[in-house]
Formats: sequence, structure tokens, C-alpha cells
Amino acid sequence: MMQHTVHITPESVVVDGKVLSHQEKGAALLTELYRKHIGDYPKFFKMDTLCRLGFVASELLLQVEGAERFVPREDRAVVFFNRNASLQADTTYQATIQDPENFYPSPAAFVYTLPNIVTGEIAIRNKYYGETLFLVIENNDPNIISRQLENTFQDPQTQSILGGWLDCTDENHFEAQIFLIFKS
Amino acid sequence: MDELIYTLKQQIIEALNLEDMTPEDIDENAALFGEGLGLDSIDALELIVLMEKNYGIKLQDPNQGKEIFKSVAVMADFISKNRTK
Repeated sequence: MMQHTVHITPESVVVDGKVLSHQEKGAALLTELYRKHIGDYPKFFKMDTLCRLGFVASELLLQVEGAERFVPREDRAVVFFNRNASLQADTTYQATIQDPENFYPSPAAFVYTLPNIVTGEIAIRNKYYGETLFLVIENNDPNIISRQLENTFQDPQTQSILGGWLDCTDENHFEAQIFLIFKS
Repeated sequence: MDELIYTLKQQIIEALNLEDMTPEDIDENAALFGEGLGLDSIDALELIVLMEKNYGIKLQDPNQGKEIFKSVAVMADFISKNRTK
């Protein structure tokens, strides 16, 4: 049973079907959402765009859920899907090692060169100790996604999943279409 | 030294994405790690890269960082004595 949804693109934010007003677009939109609706997690500024997107989207989702936050729990899984893995972070990191004359690999960029880092960011923030999974698939295919969600619910411990589509190619091209779904 | 400290603060803000901060917000005598700016181990690695990239200083022993990264003032003093560019 799907209870809450959040959809974020570079130009729009929709929470449970309601459009959220904003001024900015692209990456600046994510920062605006952070400042307006979250604002107590400076680590946000260290994240790559994929993590910022997942972090902000999950925060909006959990705010509308309204349940008590930051209580350790094992019954909630975090399961995301996308097409482009950590492409933006990969590109950013590559830029730091591209020129042999200016070869300074950035540790801060490197740590985000895996898409599943965002599942960890969300799990750490919320003290979720259940399953975390990030699958790279060809398209935002509801059949593949629902099949994976069913598989995740096979674990008797998992009672809810924070998951969905979370894709980003650069600061101006991204989409979060995430949900909170409960075992029926 | 004041100019180096100010430049260093700017470089730290940029390298560590401390977007909410300005050089004036950073006390050059405050601890960079722990209670001060609250930096983490990845930030420490990024500071090592910053010193090599901007000042030509290559730390042979990462444990040196514990002393050098005590504060911006200590870092600036080390840079002024060891910089190659």
C-alpha cells in the first residue's frame, strides 16, 4: 500500500500530489528545499547531486509521513533504482585525475562514486538498520520495480520501504520519484 | 601571514564545500576537527590534497596531519615554512 509520494525534477516539486512552491531550478532548487524545509544537516553541502536529491526527497517524504523520526529501526528498507548510477560523481572525480600535470584525486569526490552511497546517507540519517539496495536498471520500469519491492517484502523483518526512482546525470538533469510503501 | 590565513580560509571553504561559511566565520585559532569546524576524515584527506595542490607540500606521513591541521593558524604557519610554490 503506497502511502506517500514525492516527485522532484529540476523545475518542480510535488509532495503527495500537491505542488510545493519554490523559486530556484536545478541544483539550486535542492539547496532551496534544504534551507526551507530541513536546514539542520550541514553534511548536505558535502553531498553530490544524487545524494542531495535523495536526501531532500526522503526528508520531504518522511515529513509528510509524520512518524517519530531518528528512532533506530530495522523494519524499514531503502530501495532505489536509476539508469545512470553515480555518473555525475564519476565525471566530477574523473576531472580531478584527467590531467597528468594537474593530478589531484579528490577524496571528497571519490566517496560519492557509487550510487548506493545515497541509500547509506538516508539510512544513517534516519537510523534505519534494515535492508538497503540500489539497483541500476535500463528504465523507470514499474514492473521491475514492483517485482523488486515484492522480493524485499519477502524478508519478514521488512514492514515498509522507502524507495523509488532516483536518477541524476548532472546538476540540471535529475528526477526523484520516490514513495513510502507498507506491507499489505 | 594574515593574507595567507585569509586565503587559506577561502581555499578550505571551497575544497570542503562549507557553503554556509565565509572566511570571517572561521576562527583561525579554533580546532578544525572535533568541536571546531567539525570536519571528518575525508575532509582531512581533502586538506592534504589542498596543501599539495596549492602549496606544493606533500605530507610523507598522514599522521603529521594531526599536528598540522590543529587550526587554520597552525596550518598557515606550517605552509609558510614549507611551501614550494
